[in-house]
Amino acid sequence: MPAVPNETASVPAGASPDPQSTQRARQVRLLLLISFGWLLALLIGAGLDAFVSVRRLDAVSQQVSRRFSARNQAVVAIVLSVHSYDDELERFLLQDQFNEPAPEPATIAKYIADIRAALQRFPLDNDPDEQLLLSAIQQQLLDEENSLSSITTWRPDVRQQRAYPFIVEQLIPWRTHVYDLAQQISALNARKLALDNLAVATSFQVLESRLMWMVALALTAGVLMSLICGWYILRLERQGRQRYQALARSRLELEGLSARLVAAQEQERRSISRELHDEVGQTLGALLVEVGQLSKVVPADDRVTQSQIAHIKSVAETAVKSIRDMALLLRPPMLDDLGLVPALEWQAREISRRSDMEVDVHSDRVSEALPDELKVCIYRLVQEALNNAASHASAKRAKVTVRQDTEKITVEIADNGSGFDPLRSRGMGILGMEERVRRLGGTFAIESARGQGTAVKAELPLSPATNSSAAA
Amino acid sequence: MRKIRILLADDHKLIRGGLRLLIEQQPDLTVVGEANDGREAVSLAKSLKPGVVVMDIGMPNLNGIEAALQITQAHPEISVVMLSMHSDESYVLRALKSGARGYLLKDSAESDLIRAVYAVAEGKSFFSPAVSKVLLDDYVRKLKRTGAEDAYDLLTPREREILQLIAEGKSNKDVANLLNLSVYTVETHRSNIMEKLNLRGVPELILFAVRKGIIS
Repeated sequence: MPAVPNETASVPAGASPDPQSTQRARQVRLLLLISFGWLLALLIGAGLDAFVSVRRLDAVSQQVSRRFSARNQAVVAIVLSVHSYDDELERFLLQDQFNEPAPEPATIAKYIADIRAALQRFPLDNDPDEQLLLSAIQQQLLDEENSLSSITTWRPDVRQQRAYPFIVEQLIPWRTHVYDLAQQISALNARKLALDNLAVATSFQVLESRLMWMVALALTAGVLMSLICGWYILRLERQGRQRYQALARSRLELEGLSARLVAAQEQERRSISRELHDEVGQTLGALLVEVGQLSKVVPADDRVTQSQIAHIKSVAETAVKSIRDMALLLRPPMLDDLGLVPALEWQAREISRRSDMEVDVHSDRVSEALPDELKVCIYRLVQEALNNAASHASAKRAKVTVRQDTEKITVEIADNGSGFDPLRSRGMGILGMEERVRRLGGTFAIESARGQGTAVKAELPLSPATNSSAAA
Repeated sequence: MRKIRILLADDHKLIRGGLRLLIEQQPDLTVVGEANDGREAVSLAKSLKPGVVVMDIGMPNLNGIEAALQITQAHPEISVVMLSMHSDESYVLRALKSGARGYLLKDSAESDLIRAVYAVAEGKSFFSPAVSKVLLDDYVRKLKRTGAEDAYDLLTPREREILQLIAEGKSNKDVANLLNLSVYTVETHRSNIMEKLNLRGVPELILFAVRKGIIS
């Protein structure tokens, strides 16, 4: 009958997962997931925000400086064109003093157009101060156009006369005034730049503080969650350790129990065996002797009585035999009378007589003074293995090898029977062998396969120190 | 005529009673003491100096085998008949190694005890016929199943002769005198016999002889 070892039976009550704790574990997992997800989202959000903001600020500040330089350039262009116009006009006015070809009035008018073009190229935005200054320049330009149109009509003598006074009284103040206006625009532009830069700096600070807040929040949350998790892990670990200890304890108790069971069984067998052998067996033996005496006392020709005596004798002999067989099976006195190896040889011959299997026993340096529990263990191991080989595997030959080394004793029982799959079928007998060997701190192995015979192997330590805790 | 003095050792009073009854029916046999265990048997053998000790193999304190060993080592002149319930050769061999010359099954004590006592008192050996039969059966069965040949067939007639004499308890010198051979030749034959039969020591040789029915 194959028996599957029941692993769950060794788990103490309460340690098995109940629905309530499963529910709680699920809740804890969900909570952890949410918390860590939140933390991660916070960090990612802060990072993205910082990235986008920095990009935006960078663009703004570039735009500011671009606008500033564009305006500056426009102002410079205005000033330069005014300067050119001024030069040309002076050359026109003073053409009579210098012997140079004078510019045509149309060319001078073109310079005015240049100034206007420069003015128009000025990048406009809706700043009223700037507008005001620009329209002032525009106005000056219109005035200048008017005066130019009158100047070009001057005759050369008039021109000679009025050139210097015009330059000093009108052209220079006008020029100065336009320069001054341009200066003002420039100053306004510079002020604007400063303002814009300030705005950028302020939004940068806002970003900085927001980022700091987010990082601080994430850090606090992270530390808090680490603390909670650490505490939880420690608690779990403690619980796990407690459970493991409980498990180990109950396993130890179980081992002790099974050890006591085996010992008690052996003890019981021994006492029943001795009882049978000593009391019942000897009494019957004595009865046989008495009956033998009786048959001598009764006259040989008293056929009826003699045959009755013979019957009594045969009944008593049968009883003696069955009592002896029972006693031997329970606790072979050979183990006590002869020692291990002769007892194993006896066992081997007994099996050989009863079955079709021939058994050989080989022993190597086996001491006669082995501890009783070791002898019993080996004896039962061999008994069980040989019985299995003869009855289940229908083996024809079997070999028992017992070898003693300095620290251990090795037993091997090999047969040429039908074999089996030791991973699939493990009968009570095999479990019993395993238990006996394990109880003495030894190792047990079965090698077998269908049609390949079976080898049962056990190694037992000679000083079973490992057993002391289980037996206690 | 001197009576043969007998010491009975058995931990069961009933058995001792039955044995005493059997023995004392013979005019030339007498029971001089009864021991309840092995230790008592050893001390009584020492003080009473019996000719024959009839000893149960399984006794408390000191078992029959150990007691027989102590008695035969201290007093080689005392012959021991071992009483046993077991006909297995493990027991027979142990009994032989302990110096016992007779091996008697309890079942057949009633019919064979007297013969056994006389035989060992004369320095011969005695084995219950049932024992010889079991030993032979085991041997034959094993030969048949393993297909091995009977090592006895390997022996020459001279070796068989010497085997029997040694099994009967004769020394090399006795054998040499009986067969008109030199002691050296007997020794050579003897070691050849041991080698051919794969035996270690005289007890195994006696066991072999009993098994083959060469002695009883």
